[in-house]
Amino acid sequence: MKRNQPWVGTVVLSGMLVLSACSGNNGPAEAPNAPTTPSNQENTATEGNKEPVTIEFMGHGNPNEKKIFEALIAAFEEEYPNVTVKYTSVPPGEYSQKLTTLVSSGKAPDVFYVGGSEFYRFAEAGTVLNIQSFLDQTDLFHPDNVWETALNRYRYDGSNVGAGDLYGLPKDVGPWAFVYNKTLFEEAGVAPPPAEAGAWTWDDLLEAAQQLTIDENGDGKPDQYGVGAYSLESAVWGNGGQFIDYDTGTVMVDQPEFYEAMQYVADLSLVHGVSPNQEAEQALNAYTRFLNGKLAMFAMGPWDQPAFWELPFEWDIAAWPASPNTGETATWLGSMGLAISAKSDHPQEAFDLAAFLSLDEDGQRENYQLGQAVPNLIDMARGEFLEQDKAPASRQVFLDIIEDYGRPDVPALSKDTQWIDTFWQDASKVWNGNMSAKDFTAEIQPKMQELYDKGNK
Amino acid sequence: MNAKLTGYRRKELAWLYLFVAPPVLGFLLFGLAPIVFSIYISFQKWDMLTEPQWVGLGNYNDILNDGKVFISMYNTVYLMIGIPIGMLLSLLLAILMNRKFKGISFMRTIYYLPVISPIIAISLLWQWILNQDYGLLNNYLWDVFGIQGPNWLGDPNWVKPSLILIGLWGGLGANMVLYLAGLQSVSSTYYEAAEIDGAGAWHKFSKITVPLLSPIHFFILVMGVIGAFQTFSQIYVLATDGGPEYSGATIVFYIFQHAFKYFNMGYASAAAWLLGVMIFIITLLQFKLSKRWVYQD
Repeated sequence: MKRNQPWVGTVVLSGMLVLSACSGNNGPAEAPNAPTTPSNQENTATEGNKEPVTIEFMGHGNPNEKKIFEALIAAFEEEYPNVTVKYTSVPPGEYSQKLTTLVSSGKAPDVFYVGGSEFYRFAEAGTVLNIQSFLDQTDLFHPDNVWETALNRYRYDGSNVGAGDLYGLPKDVGPWAFVYNKTLFEEAGVAPPPAEAGAWTWDDLLEAAQQLTIDENGDGKPDQYGVGAYSLESAVWGNGGQFIDYDTGTVMVDQPEFYEAMQYVADLSLVHGVSPNQEAEQALNAYTRFLNGKLAMFAMGPWDQPAFWELPFEWDIAAWPASPNTGETATWLGSMGLAISAKSDHPQEAFDLAAFLSLDEDGQRENYQLGQAVPNLIDMARGEFLEQDKAPASRQVFLDIIEDYGRPDVPALSKDTQWIDTFWQDASKVWNGNMSAKDFTAEIQPKMQELYDKGNK
Repeated sequence: MNAKLTGYRRKELAWLYLFVAPPVLGFLLFGLAPIVFSIYISFQKWDMLTEPQWVGLGNYNDILNDGKVFISMYNTVYLMIGIPIGMLLSLLLAILMNRKFKGISFMRTIYYLPVISPIIAISLLWQWILNQDYGLLNNYLWDVFGIQGPNWLGDPNWVKPSLILIGLWGGLGANMVLYLAGLQSVSSTYYEAAEIDGAGAWHKFSKITVPLLSPIHFFILVMGVIGAFQTFSQIYVLATDGGPEYSGATIVFYIFQHAFKYFNMGYASAAAWLLGVMIFIITLLQFKLSKRWVYQD
């Protein structure tokens, strides 16, 4: 018997090795609960009968966003003392991979960011929880005081996004605004673009851009450009065109309204030379040029504010120039949502957190004051947000986009985005002048249609 | 169990299996099982969220009808131009390094350094070297030769040559070490005999050194081809979304995009299996052909 003991030991040991290898993923997820339990129990004693609960929350974003969310979560934990939040912030580039892997292995966080096409896929697969009944019971949520267009992105009716019950709440709304370097305009004596939609057209833009494109050292290449990264979405929609008609699922890029607009954008660099061409953009992107004060007109989202506040020149936002053919202005409106896992063990607490992050007044205030977003709460956005004593002076433009002429970004309503990715990949043929927009869109439309049908129907 | 085995033998066998068990089980669980599963998944439509749907050969059919797969295959094969160039350069380098002079180990270390550097760091470094306006390379070309260098990573025609250049720089050291080992195992008696017969330096090199190194050539070639088929990291860093007009996308990048951007796991598995079979056939072919030119003693 005694002689056999080492043998037995080895069996147990190697068995444990194998077992621990199998269960390795379960261990760490549980572990963080342990140290937090004592403090929870303390709170429970004072609070009443609520069970201590730990929920997981996963998001992404820059270090600034992480800091803000840590503060918001601390505030949440104070208000809901029985709940401990385990917050993970993942680099944006890896987020979607990580989330999908967690979901498919049954370890989805209780609350997580989800946006656009991912929301569609998750809603369809039953990954995200229908929160309508929770919303009806909370006093944080006043449907009239949250941007309707933001809420609609998180509605799902069993087959389509945009209508039906809510499956998520907006973390933010991202109006894509037209921004300009005020100092450059003043120095050149050019009238800046106005804030009201429709007052400026593409022709006005071109004229101003021509005056602001300057070759300082005479090497034949402009050192300062008039406009950069001009939004194709804005041009196409303003011109009455569409990327896709989501009602019928028809890709519309081969229509004249579309390719005329695309040609206009391409010609800004190809014909007029007022926008960095593809090579110049590769060498130094428009964002860096704008920060360096070498680009007069550009585009921005609210999240760019903290970086722009540091700039040594004055800047402001304006309405996107309207198409002279229609007089219409348009741009895209992004959004990121907060959703709750359908498999969450603590849906009520998870909902409380999502509602707090999306709708709590103090949280929303902190968020806009730090320049992360426009408030989700309409009264706050129309009130104190407009009065905030920081650039941009024409903050109303952000609200105009949300309320009036912003549209969901193109991929937001597709489950599978290959059709639009293919377009952007091959569009360089137009940007570098190898093909006209008309020929290109005629060539690529069938391919896009095929991909859309395959992935979305 | 065999009744003939003595108690002692039996015990020893049990120990043997115990020690062998962890790696074998590890492989079965984390190696073989996913491989087998991926065959099964390649016949399914699966987005990792909903239940897989059987589509038969649908994925394979779709792949062969997708133009992008051929572009990325062409790109991958194009990158193999770097293999013979790299072999030539690393052989020359190894011959230079195969002498005794002061600081030789320092020199060898220098040339080996890129091999141990993370590929991501190397890619970021080259991203700056190859920048059109501000990059070191184009600045040298302008200052020294008065040539305006191309937009290395922005022009579809130059992306692949740039990638080959980066691959050469990064791979030289590893191959050099292999050749160095080969050179040092070539017996000096061959050279002495050749010298007595009046052979010059070129003859010694071409008739003795090169043929006797043929097992090394073969090893580098096989590994180089497999490595080229698996090129991924530098593409991921240097060629956003496959580079201009998909000119930088390799086949593994294509698979990655379908797996982790579009979450078409079935489609990606099918593409991975096509790639696997292709690598297998080409390697087999290389082994068959090697009998004609690789010298084994």
